[in-house]
Amino acid sequence: MDIPIQRPVQRAENITPMINVVFLLLIFFLMTAQIAPPAPFDVVPPTAPLDHPAEGTFTLHLDANGQVGFEDALGETPALAALEQAYTRACADRGCFGSAAQPVVILRADAKADAALLPALLRKLAARRITNIQLATRLAHEAPE
Amino acid sequence: MIDVVFLLLVFFMLTSRFGMDMQMPLRAGGGTAAAYQGPPRLIHIGADSVTLNGRPVAVQGLPEALLPLMAKPTDAILLRAAAGVPMQQLVGVMAGLSQAGLTNLILLE
Repeated sequence: MDIPIQRPVQRAENITPMINVVFLLLIFFLMTAQIAPPAPFDVVPPTAPLDHPAEGTFTLHLDANGQVGFEDALGETPALAALEQAYTRACADRGCFGSAAQPVVILRADAKADAALLPALLRKLAARRITNIQLATRLAHEAPE
Repeated sequence: MIDVVFLLLVFFMLTSRFGMDMQMPLRAGGGTAAAYQGPPRLIHIGADSVTLNGRPVAVQGLPEALLPLMAKPTDAILLRAAAGVPMQQLVGVMAGLSQAGLTNLILLE
């Protein structure tokens, strides 16, 4: 008797469910991502029980040692100059200086930074006609990044 | 195509930032602020104490202590932090005041 040996049929794995899951994840990350320019250094903002999510056009960083950074520019004078340049560029066609529609600058200061630096920095920003400034804080229950 | 989708997925996973920051408005002295009115309301934040017009006050008691000095909640309150005081301490005082409805906080050098 010649009984044929039953070989398991090699079927191609069905990958459609995986593609579905991957698409779902992709859409999730697309929706939640905020692609911000990376901070020039690590900053852990102070905690405060406030619930206005920070929304700003520019982010100025101030670390625990009082170093100022904006995008790639480090040090107070270069950072403020770079911020002013970006601000002026954003304002050029709207004429937004001094009006309510001027872009918001988020100041991301470290919780351990010297608080006495803050008014001095604000004065220097005001001298560059940047007055719409918000201080970034985080909720106490959120672990620092 | 699945390769590209995976690539995009990894890209967004790595670049997205979670844990949104919250914000608090900042105002410095000078500029075009309306003229200061009423009795002095100067909060000095020292390394280990907070004083209102020179008298020590507990941070929680600040809104109450300010009440008799203010005609309306939008009156300006002046804040000054001593050198070396961490930002967290200043923000704690400011958040306490703004939660009590006192929002016109002005930082002095």
